[in-house]
Amino acid sequence: MLDAAFAAFLQIATDPFAIGLCLIGVVIGTALGALPGISSTMSLAVLLPFSFGMSLEHAMVFLLAVFTASVYGGSVSAILINIPGTPGAIVTQMDGYPMGRKGRAGEALTYALLASTLGGLLGWCLLVIFAPLVAQAALAFQSPEYAAITVFGLAMLAYASPGSTFLALIAGMIGLLLATIGLDTTTDVARFTFGTDGLQAGLGIIPAAVGIFGIAEVLKGLERGAKKLQPVTRIGRLLPPWREAAPLWPLGLRGSVIGAFVGAIPAAGSAIAVTVAYALEKRLSKTPEKFGTGCPEGVVAPESANNAGVGGALIPMITLGIPGDSMTAVLIGALLIHGLRPGPTMFAQHIDFVGIVYVALAFAIVATLVVGMLGNRLFARIVNAPRAVLLSGVTLLCIVGSFAVRNSFFDVIVMTGFGVLGYLMNRIGMPTAPVIFGLVLGPILEENVRRSMIIYNDWTVFLTRPISLTVLIIAIVALAYPLIQDAMRRRPSP
Amino acid sequence: MLQRSKTILATLTAAVLAGAFAAPAALADDHDFPSQPVTLIVPWSPGGGSDTSMRLVAEAAEAHLGQPVVVVNRPGAGGAEGTRAIASAEADGYTIGMVGSGVIARHYGNPNANDYGDLQPIVFFGADPGALTANPSTGFKSVSDFVDAAKAEPGSVTNGNDQPGGSSYISISVLENELGVEVTKVPYEGFAPTVAALLAGEVMTATVPVPDVIEHHKNGDLVLLGVTDTSRHFLASDVPTFQEQGFDIVIGSWRMLVAPQGVPQERLEKLEQALIATLSDAAFVERANAAGFGVNPMGIDDTTAFLKAFDDTLYPVLKASDLVKVRDRN
Repeated sequence: MLDAAFAAFLQIATDPFAIGLCLIGVVIGTALGALPGISSTMSLAVLLPFSFGMSLEHAMVFLLAVFTASVYGGSVSAILINIPGTPGAIVTQMDGYPMGRKGRAGEALTYALLASTLGGLLGWCLLVIFAPLVAQAALAFQSPEYAAITVFGLAMLAYASPGSTFLALIAGMIGLLLATIGLDTTTDVARFTFGTDGLQAGLGIIPAAVGIFGIAEVLKGLERGAKKLQPVTRIGRLLPPWREAAPLWPLGLRGSVIGAFVGAIPAAGSAIAVTVAYALEKRLSKTPEKFGTGCPEGVVAPESANNAGVGGALIPMITLGIPGDSMTAVLIGALLIHGLRPGPTMFAQHIDFVGIVYVALAFAIVATLVVGMLGNRLFARIVNAPRAVLLSGVTLLCIVGSFAVRNSFFDVIVMTGFGVLGYLMNRIGMPTAPVIFGLVLGPILEENVRRSMIIYNDWTVFLTRPISLTVLIIAIVALAYPLIQDAMRRRPSP
Repeated sequence: MLQRSKTILATLTAAVLAGAFAAPAALADDHDFPSQPVTLIVPWSPGGGSDTSMRLVAEAAEAHLGQPVVVVNRPGAGGAEGTRAIASAEADGYTIGMVGSGVIARHYGNPNANDYGDLQPIVFFGADPGALTANPSTGFKSVSDFVDAAKAEPGSVTNGNDQPGGSSYISISVLENELGVEVTKVPYEGFAPTVAALLAGEVMTATVPVPDVIEHHKNGDLVLLGVTDTSRHFLASDVPTFQEQGFDIVIGSWRMLVAPQGVPQERLEKLEQALIATLSDAAFVERANAAGFGVNPMGIDDTTAFLKAFDDTLYPVLKASDLVKVRDRN
């Protein structure tokens, strides 16, 4: 294995074309990831045909660079304009955007970038050292376990949201209910579509997120009136003070471990990983009340988890030939076109290719760091734009981004609706992120609960399977803990 | 400053006017067709088999069409969304699209979906035969083993497939119908999760296409029991067909390129010729085969006849599986 990796390293490091492709891929990936509405998957699919003419090595270098950079790029727009460029960045913005509003946008971007790099590297280590082991463990996750871990993710989210846990739970419920709109994936029957064509496809996650975060923020800006639309005059410095940043590395490490493992479970998705990482740090923090108001911890934890997921998602691909998520599905498409069919024999028969994946991913992580450091100086200036221009620009991005997802005007209407909903929710102090997580996790939860019932025909299956039971117990304890704590506190002290 | 913005305005106006005049001119003169890029609507998300196959076509078609082909993804509602976009596009030949075998199931099953008669076939891309694969722990070695187990206790065999109306759901429904068995159909969203569940042993069998399981079959992690085609699959020459095992069942999924109804005849023929040439291109076929797509180009007439014949075969199966909810035949 080491030989193969070393050979691949020499091959790529001494090939100026490969290095150039890596840098170009990172620049394009960061830009596409930062654009609302263009997910990592879409970036990869659109750039896929460019790789047809390349050699397999070059194709992997290029596509992995796009993949890695687009995951980081998603946090750029989250921090600067409160729109998650990719769904994985939704949690990053809970603290990233407030940091920017405090004049610390530059620092927030750097925190996100460093956390991304740390997460990326840890995910990489997991990929290189434990790939076959993790792949086997991931197969232990079946429908009941998916259902349980989704419940766990929702519980963590209620806890992670700033403000009242009760309101967050209600917001999550709204999201779960909205997620039932469209064709039922189990029976193919239309639900809550009122006979319309547009609703058959369900409410798109990206249009909803772009509206509820982006447009809602624009509406809030309008409410304050034209006179008060003053620009944030300081972009702040780029490098955070060492004294603040240094103690955060264990936090980033924990986030990375969570991200890498959850990312390796096929289809679990980054949404759960970032939520769990954020909730864990809020729990461990001595000042949990600071989360949600713009603290660096709230950027570092989810961002490291988000990027660690890249290495994690590649594990099922190179060990079993199964895509861990929609991004790796596109990568597998690229391999097929180059005549390489990923499967369980990858390590035995294509060890040279495995080496290339390892090295290409490492280069992509480093290149993202370098390009990001240079780019952040530029990105951070966005908040310097006059508020009126910025808000108009954001509105334009929201419209284009929500249209781009499915090339559908209906999604623009959905986006606008969610913008109004988000504005109203902000007015009554209800967190909006749980709505989006409800939309993301609702279908996963429903599908897996119903599938478990079809297979086992017995609801106790969630309690008799050890992993499922453990996860559910942790979820309940996490939800009930604040209540218990309150009760303990109220007990009169002697 | 003012001067500059005036110049920009003038340029923009000129551009808009030029565009307005150019468009009807392009419409009038069919000899120049196509004089602008052609849009290819894919009713599925980026990254899936339909998207990948059509991006291959789009890339290769430019040389034969003389214009770039731009893939536009319109996923949603099991393909109904994108099919609607194709059917309602302007019939000028500049918008074409892909539909798969699911278009028939949606025609009968989804009241909001288009009648497949709204589409004008252009060329047939190719077919993927259905296949039946088992987890080795079931002990199934052949199709007969599967039939025996399913008959011994109806519903005891669990099969992984997509949601009702999807191609692997249709596959298992056809098998149930023709073999006279009953299995528990477990829906997954897409082939990748289905294969993962089969590997993990959550389901006993699955009806996903050969390319999705071939590597696991070779490695012994899964057993391909048979393919529902008239000849063996080019990736799995060791796996006998259902016919060879004494079960006369041929069913598969397919993809074709279509246009909205009403495209001028001359343009339709130009598209047909260019796409047939694309799909017959040796370099293209090699690439598509490597990616697991069988390519079998057919022209307008053969494709139209194929669509009709497929409807005739599938209708009784859909009827028996309770999937005919609208546009029932008498």
